Amino acid sequence: MRTDDLIAVMTAGHRPVDTGWLRRATWLCALAALALTVLLVLLILGARADIAGAWLTRPVIAKALLGASVASIALVLFQRSLRPGLRPGRSLPLVALPVALVAGWALVTLAQAPAEQWGELVFGRHWRACLIAVPLYALVPLVVLYGLARHGAPVDGRVTGACAGLASAGLATLAYSLHCPDDAAPFLATWYTIAIAAVAAIGAAAFPRLLRW
Amino acid sequence: MRHERATEEAGPTRDLPKSAPALSLDELETQLRPVFLAALAGDAAAYRLFLDAISVRLRGYLRSMLARAGRHEPSEVEDVLQETLLALHLSQHTYDRTSPVTAWAHAIARYKLIDHLRRSGRHAGSLPLDDEAYQLADPAGGAASEARLDLERAMAALPERTRRLIDRVKLQGASIAEAAQAAGMTETAAKVAIHRGLQAMARFLSRRGGRPG
Repeated sequence: MRTDDLIAVMTAGHRPVDTGWLRRATWLCALAALALTVLLVLLILGARADIAGAWLTRPVIAKALLGASVASIALVLFQRSLRPGLRPGRSLPLVALPVALVAGWALVTLAQAPAEQWGELVFGRHWRACLIAVPLYALVPLVVLYGLARHGAPVDGRVTGACAGLASAGLATLAYSLHCPDDAAPFLATWYTIAIAAVAAIGAAAFPRLLRW
Repeated sequence: MRHERATEEAGPTRDLPKSAPALSLDELETQLRPVFLAALAGDAAAYRLFLDAISVRLRGYLRSMLARAGRHEPSEVEDVLQETLLALHLSQHTYDRTSPVTAWAHAIARYKLIDHLRRSGRHAGSLPLDDEAYQLADPAGGAASEARLDLERAMAALPERTRRLIDRVKLQGASIAEAAQAAGMTETAAKVAIHRGLQAMARFLSRRGGRPG
C-alpha cells in the first residue's frame, strides 16, 4: 500500500477527536480505584478501633495528606506520560516534596524524644503490616491505571509505570490510613516511604514490558 | 534537486507554502498547529493537509535515522513511516493542546522506529535517538517510495466487509459518503468500521515479530 493511500483511508475515517478524555478518565479512574481500595481495607482489615476520635488528629490527617499529595502529583504526571512529546519524567522529583516534609517532621520528633524511645517511634507496633498492606492494596489502583495506560500512547513505559506506581501507593496510603493504628511521625516517614518506593519500582519494572503499542 | 523532487512527490500540500519541505522545525510548527487543531475539531481536509505535511517531515527523519543504523532500503523507511502514521492516527486523542504538534509526532515516530529496530534485531543503543535528535534530522522529505508488504498483509487479515470498504476509499478514491452507500452503511457506521480496521491493522503490525508477552 502506498503511503498516500493510507493517508486517504485515514482521512476518510476521520472524526472529531476529544483530547480531554484522557485527563478526565485519569481522575475518574483514580477516584473509582480509591473508593474500591477504601472499601477493601474497611471490609478486610476494618477501620482502626478509635477511628471516631482519631480521624481528625494530626497523624491520621498527615497520613492521608501524604497519600493524597503523592497520588495527585503522580496522577498529573501519569496522565502526561500517556501523551508523546511531553517529558513528565523531569517533574518526577516533585513527588519527593511531600515525602521530604514528612521526613523533616519525623526528624524533629526524634530530636525532641529521648534516644531510648527512638526504636519505638520508628518501628511502632505494626511496621510489617504497613509494609505489606500498602503495596498489596496498591495493586487495585495499579491495575486500573494499567488499563488506562493502554488507551494512551506511553513512549516511556518506565516513567508511566513509576508514575502509576506512585499514584497507586498514594491512594493505598490514603485508604490504609483508616486502619493503620501507628501514629508516630518517624513510623510514617520510614515505612510508608519504603512502601511507596517499592510500588513505584514495581510499576517501573512491569509497565515497559506490558505496555508495547 | 532533492528538495524540488520532494515537493513534487509530497502530493497535495498545495495550501501550505511551496517551500514546505525546507521549513525549519519552528516554521513547520507555526503552520501545522492551527491545521491540526482544525483537524481535531473534525475538519477532514485540514487533517489530510496535516498528514501530507507531517509525513514529508517524518520520512526525512526516519530516513536519516535508519541510514545511521546502516539501513538504506527506501522501502524500510516507508514501512516505518506507515506504521508511524497509523499510530499517529490512532493516538490523536493523546495530543496535548498546549504542546508542539511536531514534538508529539516526532515522539511517536521515534517510539515506532526504536520498536522497529528492536524487532528486526538491531540495537538502537548506538543511534543518537535521544529526544532532541529530531531537531538535527534532515528536514527535506525526499520522495515517497513503495513500501514492502507489511501493511498489505495487515489488511489481508481484516474482515471482508471492512477490507472492501477500505479498498473502495483507497483504490477508487471514493468519498466516504459514496463508499458507505455502496456498502449499504451509514456514513458514521462506515467511519467507525474504517477506524476499527485501522486499529486492527496497527495491532497486527505491532504483534508481528517476537513481541514479548
